[in-house]
Parts: sequence; structure tokens; C-alpha cells
Amino acid sequence: MQRTWNSPLGQALCIITGASRGFGREAATQISRLVSPGSVLILVARSEDDLRTLQAELTESKAGKAGLVVRYVAADLGLMEGVESVVKASKEASSDNIEHLILINNAASLGDVSRFTREFTDMAEVNSYLSLNVSSSLCLTSSVLQAFPQRPRLQRTVVNISSLCALKPFPSWVLYCTGKAARDMMFKVLAEEEPTLRVLNYAPGPMDTHMQDEARVKTADLNVRKSFTRMAANGLLLSCEESCAKLMKLLRENTYESGAHIDVYDV
Amino acid sequence: MSNITTCIKTLGRGICIITGASKGFGHTLAQQVCSLLESGSVLLLVARTGTLLQKLTEELQSSTSAQQLVVRCIEADLSTEEGVKETVRAAKQEDVKDVDHVLLINNAASLPSISHFSSFINPDEVNSYLFFNVTSALTLTAGILQAFPPRPGLRWTVVNISSAFALQALPSWVLYCTGKAAREMMFRVLAAEEPNVKVLSYSPGPMDTEMQEEICRLTGACYDLLPCQEPGAKLMKLLLDNNFISGSHIDFFDA
Repeated sequence: MQRTWNSPLGQALCIITGASRGFGREAATQISRLVSPGSVLILVARSEDDLRTLQAELTESKAGKAGLVVRYVAADLGLMEGVESVVKASKEASSDNIEHLILINNAASLGDVSRFTREFTDMAEVNSYLSLNVSSSLCLTSSVLQAFPQRPRLQRTVVNISSLCALKPFPSWVLYCTGKAARDMMFKVLAEEEPTLRVLNYAPGPMDTHMQDEARVKTADLNVRKSFTRMAANGLLLSCEESCAKLMKLLRENTYESGAHIDVYDV
Repeated sequence: MSNITTCIKTLGRGICIITGASKGFGHTLAQQVCSLLESGSVLLLVARTGTLLQKLTEELQSSTSAQQLVVRCIEADLSTEEGVKETVRAAKQEDVKDVDHVLLINNAASLPSISHFSSFINPDEVNSYLFFNVTSALTLTAGILQAFPPRPGLRWTVVNISSAFALQALPSWVLYCTGKAAREMMFRVLAAEEPNVKVLSYSPGPMDTEMQEEICRLTGACYDLLPCQEPGAKLMKLLLDNNFISGSHIDFFDA
């Protein structure tokens, strides 16, 4: 790969889900500065308006002006059509010059943290959660890997935005913990199967986002809620920018063990 | 010689629910648990196949009639809301006087397509697997917890029949590993939340079941298989001793 000091990720095709806000938005912004001109960014989320705004910003940015192509796909990744539309857009925007495929599985939801495990009797609710947070990332990743198969001079990187919750149970967070634990395992299996792929489970830490706000307000477990409130009050929440910079460092250095779970505080 | 008082441990006067009870490991657990439940207990066996279940129920009912155990079968598809609700309804209806133990064994499981990660492009296929192997265990457990609310003085045990591959990634087994890993965490959260419930994720090892036969046929990976009775007996001992830490994962092969 033609990595240069100012384009360490080379000529890349980057697909980022949940790109409309929070960590996903930050990832799109930071990655745009690390790829060489002629690279392609595919922004995916459900909210078309937010995606359009971000696309405009990035197109106007230094990277955009230097030739970064920015496209967006408003899609529901829980549906096969949604996954297909992302793959289609990626294939259309791609070219033979692409030497690095980067897929960042970031889209996620918190689930209802105002209830305890014994209150989850609604199958439709749990199914809907697993569909969005587990199934869709599996199907999107598979489809993208099928569309961009392994070939010489193409590095393929798959990132799973994970969490401490993938490793540690949090009272009143059953859906989120279950989904994150499922995803970590899923991507570990992928890493085992495909030694040519670079697979990273990245836990970004507690960040100052809408998701965090929701967690602070809604969490049923008193201890968990108190610790989030304390973190916010003591300025211990990370900005998306800080955490994302660590992810970018990991991608730039590219020395992580494929399939590993790396936490922001490990970097 | 001094008088030795033998303390025979039992699983108490309980309401015991076992899913996937019609064959394989669930079938064996039903047989083993029977001899450990006290008079007046109720054993509910849940599975999709009515005929096999009926046969097992009759067999157990006749062998335990002296014990005054009630054995009932519930034909239910736990991948459906109706199936889970029916099971909870049936459990609630059992009027177990002075029940001192609620024991739920989440054993029902299915084998997914065993193939490369990148073959899973259809969300319906993935969802179908996760809904049966993850969602139904969660919603059934929640339903039973609500039907028999935990409280001090009532022994409450939830068993998750797990696998070594809940903890270790196995190529070509993404759905199975993902489902088992999801369940493992789900039950750890439950353990962290419920001080009056003991939660155990138990990995029984490779057993001589239809599921294992299918695995051997599909993949050519054919192990030395354990007769179900062996891992079953170890699980019974763990439940009787009741020393495990709630939320832990114990494997048949652990010391």
C-alpha cells in the first residue's frame, strides 16, 4: 500500500455506519484526513438530513477539496435492501486504485436501560434490538467482504465499535451488554477464519454523546447511574474526538492483533 | 463406631422447567432431575415435538409416581411469542404448595448453518437463529421470574446450557459462537442484578446426541462423545452442592 506520512491509510474506500452523529460522525471526519486524494467515504445512517449535512461539510473540507469523494446512503441495515444499497453505492464509487477497504461497524443503539432483565418479556422488542445491533453488522460485513474479495494489493480492515459492556455485565443493561458481547465474538470468529483480514474490536470508552446522555438519565440501576453521573460531573467523559484519535492511531500503526479487543484506555 | 448422620441433598420441593426436553441432553436432565426432586414437586418439560415429549412424560410419571411428582409436558415453539407465553402460563398454573425451589434449565438450542462468515448476507437467516437461541431464552427466563418472583427464602436457580464456544471463537461457527456468547453475557447481567437468583452457565462438552450426529455429518468433525449421563450428573452435583458463584461459567472438563 502506498502509505505516505500524510496519507497513512492510503487510497481507501471507507464505509462507516451510524455516521450521522456521535462517534461515527467523528470517525468520518478524522478518517477523511488520513486517506489519500481519490479515496472514497461512504456514510451510512438512517437519517438522510444529517448525512447530507456531513457530506457537505466533508466535501468542503481540505480533504474534500483535494479530491476525497464523499457519498451517503440512508438505509435501514436491518433489511436486506438496506445492506444491498450500501454495497451497491460502495461498488459504484470504488475503483481499481483502491488499496485499502475499511469498514467501521459503528451503528448501535442503547436498548432500554430503564428495566432489569426480568422485565424483558417482549420478544418483538428483544428481536428488534438483536436485529439492529447484531444481525445487521454481520450481514453488512459479509456482504461488503463478498463484494470486495481478497486480492493482492488490497488490505481489508474491519472495525467493530465495541464496549467495556462486551466484557463486563452492567445491571439494567442486558440488551446492550448482550449485543456487544455477541458482536465481539462474531468478529473474533471472522478474525480466526480470515487471516488476511485485519479485524479490530475497539471499545471507545465513555464518551460525551447522545447515547451517554440517555444512559445517565434512564439507567435503572442506581450504582451504574451514579457512576455515569459522577463521570460527567468530574469531566471524565471523553470527547468523541479524543477517543476517535486513539482508533485512528491503532489503524495507522496497524500492529494490533487481528480479532483483539482493545479499549481506549489501552492505547 | 460413632453415629454418622447422612445428609442427603435434594433439589427440594420444586417447580422445575426444562426446555428442549424431548431428546438429547434435555431428555437426560429430565430423568436425572426427577430422582432429586422431593415429593410434591412439579417437572415441566418443554419442546416442539409433542410425541417424543409425551413418551418421556409417561415414562417419568410412572417411574416417579411413588415420589408423588407431577410431570407435565408442554408442546411449545419457543421461537414464537405464543410458545413462550404458553410455557409461562402453564408454569404459573402449577399450584405447588410450599415450593422452595424454582429451577429453570434453558437447554433448548438449534444448530445453525455451519459455514464461512461471509456467507451470512441474509438478515432473516441470522435473525431466525438469534431469535430462537437468544431472545427466547431471555423472554422465557424473564417470564418465569415474573411468575415466581425471587425473594429471600426461596431458592431460585437458572441454568444456561452453554458451550466452550461461548468463550472461544471457532471458524465456520459464527452463528453458534455468537448465540452462545450472547447468552453467556445475558445470564451474567441477570446474575449481577438478582441477589436471590443463582445463575449458572454450564458447558456440557460434546455428547452423543442428534445435534452432535448432525455436526459430524456436516463437518466431518467427529469427536469422542460423552454419554449425556456424565455431563448431566456433573450438573446435578453442581446444583446439589450449590457452591458455584452466580454468573459463572463451568465446563464439564473443569476440575
